[in-house]
Amino acid sequence: MEKGKVVVEKVGPSDTDAVWIYSLTYGGGIVSGDSISVEFTVGDGCTAVLTTQASTKVYKSMGSKCSEQVLEARIGSGALFALIPDPVTCFSTARYSQKQVFRVVSDSSLVIVDWFTSGRHESGEKWDFEHYRSTNHIFSEGDQPVFLDTVLLEQGGATRIAERMHDYQVIAMVIIYGPKLKHVQDQVQENVKKMMSQQLYVPSTRLGHHAKTNSDHCLTRPAFIASCSVFGPKEAIPIGQG
Amino acid sequence: MDDSLEGLSPMDEDLVETDDRKRKRNGSIDSTLQWSQWQLLDSILPTGGFAHSFGLEAAIQARLVSGPDDLKSYIIDLLDNTGSLLLPFVYSSTMNPTLENWQKLDRILDATLSNEVGRKASISQGSSLLRVAAAVFTEIPSLKSMRDVCVGSGSGVVSFHHAPVFGLTCGLVGIDSGSSQRGFMFVTMRDVISAATRLNIVGPMGAAVLQHQMAPVAEALSQKWMDRPLEDASQTAPLLDTIQASHAYLFSRLFCS
Repeated sequence: MEKGKVVVEKVGPSDTDAVWIYSLTYGGGIVSGDSISVEFTVGDGCTAVLTTQASTKVYKSMGSKCSEQVLEARIGSGALFALIPDPVTCFSTARYSQKQVFRVVSDSSLVIVDWFTSGRHESGEKWDFEHYRSTNHIFSEGDQPVFLDTVLLEQGGATRIAERMHDYQVIAMVIIYGPKLKHVQDQVQENVKKMMSQQLYVPSTRLGHHAKTNSDHCLTRPAFIASCSVFGPKEAIPIGQG
Repeated sequence: MDDSLEGLSPMDEDLVETDDRKRKRNGSIDSTLQWSQWQLLDSILPTGGFAHSFGLEAAIQARLVSGPDDLKSYIIDLLDNTGSLLLPFVYSSTMNPTLENWQKLDRILDATLSNEVGRKASISQGSSLLRVAAAVFTEIPSLKSMRDVCVGSGSGVVSFHHAPVFGLTCGLVGIDSGSSQRGFMFVTMRDVISAATRLNIVGPMGAAVLQHQMAPVAEALSQKWMDRPLEDASQTAPLLDTIQASHAYLFSRLFCS
């Protein structure tokens, strides 16, 4: 197993100094059987961003091997860590698993975007991968669980993944946590509520005797579905999903 | 073959009380337990399950479900998710129905149910169930004492989530873990189908027919997801989770969730 270490020193105050880190994979994708593990420590008062150069492509699984990525991050007091990668795209028959564990203190701030697409849909691959699992855990001081989430999508279950997704091609989860992001949380909650209130309505067929002249329009699904929930200890720490 | 029947004519056999018949008449301990089990799964138990649609109302308003076929797929996805996400909690609390384990499961589930709508529904159903169970099963004083400890200690210590409370109750009443986990899948299916009738997706007779048609799938999913460790709890229907959480944006609604 190859190992390496990078240390970046803080240059200025955290409101002006943010370190951007791009994670690049050799060859541009993750091949069957690859295992990548990363550990991050964001010091007190520091701001760091981890992102990618392009979408993470997971190639087809050879011999049922699973590829995996593991991230462990420790975020200090008054620090902000933003994990904002491009989405993961699993090719047909791919098997992929990722686990991201974040350890925060009471005044850490965190932005996590975890998203994945249906595959190479131009090539007709829509939700055609074998296995996708993504785990995101946030623990506060004393290993207290704040947020525990695992999404598991496997072919060969009760329904095909494609059916479960109802023609939607991307799933995204955004976590916005911590005191530095209060204004963002409020804005996101506001926007999602506004957007979805327009999208959701009692379909007119339900009303029975009112004839519809334009049936297709009334029954088309929203192009985009989102919801926003508050989680964690009594302070508002929204998570948006779409 | 019962020895007491030897040498008797067929007519006389009927007059003899065999051990087997005696058992059926008096009822074994298992039979008494069945009455408790039926009561726990009966929709007439006042736990407020009828107030929740498990995301179905939002799914209808997002035009993801419009008729009985969509409904069937929806229920399968819901049961699959219930199995993968919640059965580990039911299993653990049934196998180990102690105060300490229950509090631990409740804390973990609270961090797991980030979906605010689903979380509140779980808390509402769990609180009602424990209140009713403590009042009903008076022969099990620990139900009431555990509840009193947690109600008394103020908010935040225990949220009274449904799955751990359901498993805890079954465990203390003496229901085995297999029946307990199946029972949880059953009440979920029961409540979503009931919601479907009130949302006019299916009529009461159609609902009854559907429920029986879905029994094999529900059983298969129960077997697939039962007896798993907590670390494996995962959600398998992210779209359903998103849609359920959007229930709060519905302008007109029949259900709490």
